[in-house]
Amino acid sequence: MSAERAVPQAVVETAPRRGLVSRINESAGRWLAPMAIVVLVLGAWELCVRLFDIKAWLLPSPSAIATALVQDAGLLARHSWVTLEEVIVGFAVALICGVSLGVGIALSRTVERSLYPFVIASQTIPIIVIAPLLLIWFGYGLTPKIIVVALIAFFPLAVNTVDGLKSVDPDTVNLLRTLGASRLQILLKAQLPTALPYLFSGARVAVAVSVIGAVIGEWVGSSEGLGYLMIRSKPQFLTERVFAAITLLSAMGVGLFLLVGLVERLAIPWSHVRRGGDSEAPSPRISNPNIK
Amino acid sequence: MLVTAQPATAVQPAVETGLKIRLDGVVKRREYDGVPLTVLDGVEFFARDGEFVSIVGPSGCGKSTLLNIIAGLDEPDSGAIHLDGISAERRLGQVGYMQQKDLLFPWRNVVDNALIGLELKGVPRQRSRERALELMDSFGLSGFESAYPHALSGGMRQRVSFLRTVLADQQIFLLDEPLSALDALNRAQMQEWMQHTWLSLRKTVVLVTHDVDEAIFLSDRVYVMSALPGRMKLVLDVDLPRPRPLDVLTDPEFVAMKARLLNAIRGENGREAR
Repeated sequence: MSAERAVPQAVVETAPRRGLVSRINESAGRWLAPMAIVVLVLGAWELCVRLFDIKAWLLPSPSAIATALVQDAGLLARHSWVTLEEVIVGFAVALICGVSLGVGIALSRTVERSLYPFVIASQTIPIIVIAPLLLIWFGYGLTPKIIVVALIAFFPLAVNTVDGLKSVDPDTVNLLRTLGASRLQILLKAQLPTALPYLFSGARVAVAVSVIGAVIGEWVGSSEGLGYLMIRSKPQFLTERVFAAITLLSAMGVGLFLLVGLVERLAIPWSHVRRGGDSEAPSPRISNPNIK
Repeated sequence: MLVTAQPATAVQPAVETGLKIRLDGVVKRREYDGVPLTVLDGVEFFARDGEFVSIVGPSGCGKSTLLNIIAGLDEPDSGAIHLDGISAERRLGQVGYMQQKDLLFPWRNVVDNALIGLELKGVPRQRSRERALELMDSFGLSGFESAYPHALSGGMRQRVSFLRTVLADQQIFLLDEPLSALDALNRAQMQEWMQHTWLSLRKTVVLVTHDVDEAIFLSDRVYVMSALPGRMKLVLDVDLPRPRPLDVLTDPEFVAMKARLLNAIRGENGREAR
């Protein structure tokens, strides 16, 4: 094809560039409010404990918890590592199973009709009922905790994968069909990329509930992990150590949540561009009936 | 110069060789809320190899259904579809289809969006990239090879979509109102550019449009479809010499053809309203 004729050049819209200063201001503003609340609550807490002379075994002051965090650093680190391992392995198992099942359900009507009801039904059984059974079957080791985490985390991953794969524009599928695409090519080139923002939303929920799952698994029966440490510290009235463990657990949950968000930003930059006022941006399900 | 305008059935030759597309008595029924409706009622249509043919008609007359059937996305309830003179059971992959929406993937840049057709066929990436880059200039996309769709204007996105159709290298292009989202100025320029591009490609093109000027300006033949049930109501051969300049729009012959087409369409709109 020749290029004698000029083609109308269109105006290219670029996102308005913002100055570094305004961006720093904005991120400072985002962090300032929650930080202020934390400082305020901790200050009031500390003040109440000191004013009313509340016993440390009943409610330790934030400074006592901080001391415990420092003094028991080695112990807490060892048990944190065990819990983190359970969370990561369990989440990985959930990711593999959840996404595979989601793909199966989205691709096949038969799989959907036969398996989806059971997937939903499985979520109505409280995990706290299943955990002791897992203990009987798999003992006190890592395996039952990984299964508990996987059972809890798998649901938001599977459901969001199904929703994401099904949210593909039918016109896009038709376009690929007219280009001679196979079913597998449609899945790989159009459906999976469309599903990724949904999958990441599911992953953020899944990773947060994974931490809860690991603690439940440890409560039911274990010899290490932050959940185990809490159970053991309670009857010894080492309440500040219980609070230290809780602090580390929430830090773990928040950290993993932010990590998934970071991976999402790197993996699917287009999704953030689209969310700027695009009503087609996905609004995935984040419900999990198991967290109660 | 000869302008023929007769019922489609009379124009249809018994057997003509060199027909790229031929539809014989295509019927399509649908159910809307349980009410059976005949969308296409014996559509006769043909396009010769390398011809530019347009279909105009009132909205909701089944034009898109017709394109879906030609593309192989849908099957008629009765009637036959011939491509290159042979009955075409499997048309998917043979007929390029450019829809109203540009349907670009937001996660692919301009080049990667354009070469998807070659990628699906398993053409090595290096080679398909080279072919895409060669055409960037004539599609007014040079400098935007690695831009993502969100950064492009509507006209540019349509050209990427058109480039994707061209690169897939199918012999027939179906265009479903590709310019309807553009403003008038962009439209006129794009029409001129499309004529130029088509003259150099020499593919068989079927264009569905609302715009009678656009249909006459670009086409060798214009079909007018009736309101539901859809049928070809009028066929008009456009023998204006090519390349046609934009001011052909004021040519008396052009104006006369436009009047005939508008008359036919107006009749249908009136019928639809009753």
